[in-house]
Amino acid sequence: MIVGLLMLGGGAAAGLFGSLLGLGGGILIVPILTFGFDLPLRDAVGVSLVSVIVTSGASAGVYLERRIANLRLGMVLELFTAIGALVGGLVAFLLDERVLAGLFAALLVYVAVTMGRNSARRAAPSGDAGSTPPAAPDPSRRSAAFVDRLSGSDYRVRRLGPGAAGSVGAGVVSALLGIGGGAVLVPVMHLAMGVPLRVATATSNLMIGVTATASAIIYLLRGGIDPFVAGPTAIGVFLGATLGSRTAHRVDVRVLRLLFIVVLLYTAFQMVRRALGVA
Amino acid sequence: MNLERAIARLVTAGTYVSVGLLAFGVVGLLAAGRSPLDGGPSLDPGQIVGDIVALRPEGFLWLGLLVAIASPAARVMLALGGYLRLGERGMAVVAVLILGVIALSVGLAIGTEG
Repeated sequence: MIVGLLMLGGGAAAGLFGSLLGLGGGILIVPILTFGFDLPLRDAVGVSLVSVIVTSGASAGVYLERRIANLRLGMVLELFTAIGALVGGLVAFLLDERVLAGLFAALLVYVAVTMGRNSARRAAPSGDAGSTPPAAPDPSRRSAAFVDRLSGSDYRVRRLGPGAAGSVGAGVVSALLGIGGGAVLVPVMHLAMGVPLRVATATSNLMIGVTATASAIIYLLRGGIDPFVAGPTAIGVFLGATLGSRTAHRVDVRVLRLLFIVVLLYTAFQMVRRALGVA
Repeated sequence: MNLERAIARLVTAGTYVSVGLLAFGVVGLLAAGRSPLDGGPSLDPGQIVGDIVALRPEGFLWLGLLVAIASPAARVMLALGGYLRLGERGMAVVAVLILGVIALSVGLAIGTEG
């Protein structure tokens, strides 16, 4: 019983901190299950995928209802994230766990560096970093009319090709490492495709379901998801994320963000040790 | 009801049904004093109904997981119907392709097993 409660608590902590810091819980679930409960990395990834599907569902509904998420754009891009996730899910079962640990360490360092940069950017006075001006459509493209239909009322989607390529990459990363893929998708949509940050974040959240499903099916059918571990973890993450989304506006996350960067780097160090076979 | 709202409601309902089933399973697991690290049974769809009728936690946990994984695919199916009704053939094709990729992942997972 105590192990079950600890798993529930670990999931809640992952969901709470992930929600407060604008990350999915996935980046924390895998290290918690791997280092805290001695689960094989691949099994932890399978459980994490289910947890991010459950957690993203509630907020995706709200984003759609409020018309913040762009359904058309999300569906076009999730075709590519699903392809990436399918490939990643198959590759995950071919890779040695030490390779997965090395890849996870690289992801943790990437997220820590990105958070550090964002903290520095927030501290410095700047203009509106949350949106980009609408870009002019490229009339030479035959698919311009279709792309126009993906645009919002106050922004225009551009460069669908790089967006699709980035989405395949996000799907592969999601399937290999058990995360939602927002760490890749949001920058791709915002910086490469000209989608406002708020819309990119909401649309990415909507896409997590289909992206993670394409690979979770592979983990599920190959015995990579244990219901006794997935249940408490997913419920914990859901409760933690719900609490986080309701208290985020009351919490000063600056200190929390710095603490989190330290935790991510320490976890990356432990993952590197595992990758090298010394942990 | 517009398409976005209908999809939002489906996604939300799928999430809460899945969370409810998982929560019931977790409470049953904890009440039975079983450790998650003992390892749960592997997926046997034919066994789920029997487990639920017998109030065994594994039945609720497996059904909750299956509902969670099926919800996004159900959302794409609903979108497909909506776009066909609206005459948006391009988006309907996108929805069909997404469902095709999901079906392919089922087929490849089974076909390349072990």
